[in-house]
Amino acid sequence: MSETNDKDGTGGKNHGVLYIGMDLGTSRTSVSASNGVRETVYSMVGYPKDVVSQKLLKKDVLFGKEALEKRLSLKVYKPLEKGVLKYTGDGSMDAEAKANLKAAQDLIGEAIRLAKPRKDELVYCVIGAPAEASVKNREAIIEAARAHVDSVMLCSEPFSVAYGLDWLEDVLVIDIGAGTTDLCRMHGTMPEEADQVMFDIAGDAVDAELAKRITESCPGAQFTIQMVKDIKERYGYVGDAAERCMVDLPVDGKPTAFDLTEQVRAACSILIDPIVKGIHKLVATFDPEFQTRLKNRVLLAGGGSMVKGLDSAVEKAMKERLGGGKVIRIEEPIYGGANGALKIAHDMPADFWEQLK
Amino acid sequence: MGFKESLKDAVRQMSFRTSLDSLKKKGVQQVSVLGIDRIIALIEAAVHRSLKSRLVGVEREAIADATKAEFLRLLRSNEDLQRQKSEIEQQRERAEDEIDTLRREIAQQSQALQLKLEQDALSVATRYQGENAAIALKVAEVVKSLAQTPGATLSTAEQRVMELVMDVVSGERQQADTARRALHDREVDNLQRRIKKLNDSLVTTEQRLQQVAAMKQVDGGISSVYREVQGVGSADAQVEKKKELMAGIFQANLKLQKKAQPGA
Repeated sequence: MSETNDKDGTGGKNHGVLYIGMDLGTSRTSVSASNGVRETVYSMVGYPKDVVSQKLLKKDVLFGKEALEKRLSLKVYKPLEKGVLKYTGDGSMDAEAKANLKAAQDLIGEAIRLAKPRKDELVYCVIGAPAEASVKNREAIIEAARAHVDSVMLCSEPFSVAYGLDWLEDVLVIDIGAGTTDLCRMHGTMPEEADQVMFDIAGDAVDAELAKRITESCPGAQFTIQMVKDIKERYGYVGDAAERCMVDLPVDGKPTAFDLTEQVRAACSILIDPIVKGIHKLVATFDPEFQTRLKNRVLLAGGGSMVKGLDSAVEKAMKERLGGGKVIRIEEPIYGGANGALKIAHDMPADFWEQLK
Repeated sequence: MGFKESLKDAVRQMSFRTSLDSLKKKGVQQVSVLGIDRIIALIEAAVHRSLKSRLVGVEREAIADATKAEFLRLLRSNEDLQRQKSEIEQQRERAEDEIDTLRREIAQQSQALQLKLEQDALSVATRYQGENAAIALKVAEVVKSLAQTPGATLSTAEQRVMELVMDVVSGERQQADTARRALHDREVDNLQRRIKKLNDSLVTTEQRLQQVAAMKQVDGGISSVYREVQGVGSADAQVEKKKELMAGIFQANLKLQKKAQPGA
């Protein structure tokens, strides 16, 4: 089956199969494709508020950073919350839920478009979704994707991270997203419910904590949650500060410098305790013979893992509570899930894809 | 001009010429000579040393900031280009849709025109046949009555009557044809004008499409490196385990997507 690109010497431009791995996240949606394209877009969809803004923007729908920049002229949706679609799938779905579902469909379409598929290629896509998403929610993701691809599968997000790195046995993956932190232990088979732990102390919770601390310690400072997110992404750290976090925030319209070093550290530190508790739970319920091996193979992934010093801080906490452990931050936290999903898409046999067409 | 050449020019401009005699008059017995290339090398070394020492300090941050700013500017410029490309692609798709619609309309109109022309030709032929038969019958009746008239030659009379009748009929036909053609031409003319208008519109749209294509290189997508579905390679160290995992993911998706498993 390993027929590759240039059999007929046409430079691989013939009709083929484009595999796409997608990490559908609360904050960002990332795609990795078998044509070498890797893209990420903020999970934000905006529709012009009225005819005037539609004429001005010359678009029916805007995504990601562009939607964020033009948000004053748009009705903006963030279709995912705590890692799942804001969609219940029951009959009582209100207009807002329907609009969020439409936004999710458009977002998936945009992510596929960013992968630059050729019009004559089959597109097979694996989407990483939170392990605990409801069946209705998963069906909604499948339906949303079907409009844009030839065949689609879902898989657990932390599983795809581990699969992408070829770590299939005795490994514990911690995927820190914006809405949720997912922990999943791998033992060579498909993870079951008992192998997974999920909680909602993640990137958004850090933002909320930081906003609270800025409000308390910087009287008069004006800011939005997006500004707080930017500060976190620029300076986020735990442990010892590598640099002072000096930030200009407007006070009564005048930019004023604030030292937020301590506030950022305190806000980011809220991630550590629940992570270590989750590790403790998954290690303690694992086969005793392999517990040490599992503790020494903890992978840190997702956008939240980019907080500086988090791997060392979790290791330190593990030493205190679990007698030791080794935490490894994956090389590409943003694309770890998408890369793994791409690998799954690639390794999936042809007849499986055919049956799901 | 290169850095070294610029320095040479500057040194030459700042130096002055003097003769050996004038130096002797000033009491100078010996001079130390330093070549211009050596001077340039010394200046270069001094500049490099200065830059190197400054880069260790505060200015390194300034340079780093400037580099970051330039990098961000390039990044933004790239994003703008991406956005423009996306808009152009949308324009192209709209233009292609428009062309498709126009082509379909032209085909429909041409078909309608053809049908109309065929129907008209058929009805005219039928009508003419009927009229001719009626005329011939009338002529025959006239001839018959002439035959009963003494002294008239049958063939001469028949010929004259026929000529007379056909002359009249021909005149009538010409008038009728002119009237019918005028009516028919109006309809055909309308249809032909509509087709011409559609054709013009098609040409304009195609020109616009070409302009859009010429403005920017429109990306038709990037080919996958795979031409067929792959599957786990047999050389993979964990091939069996991976196959099991793939089957597990597939079964879960099959259940989710409510598709009947073959043979189940």
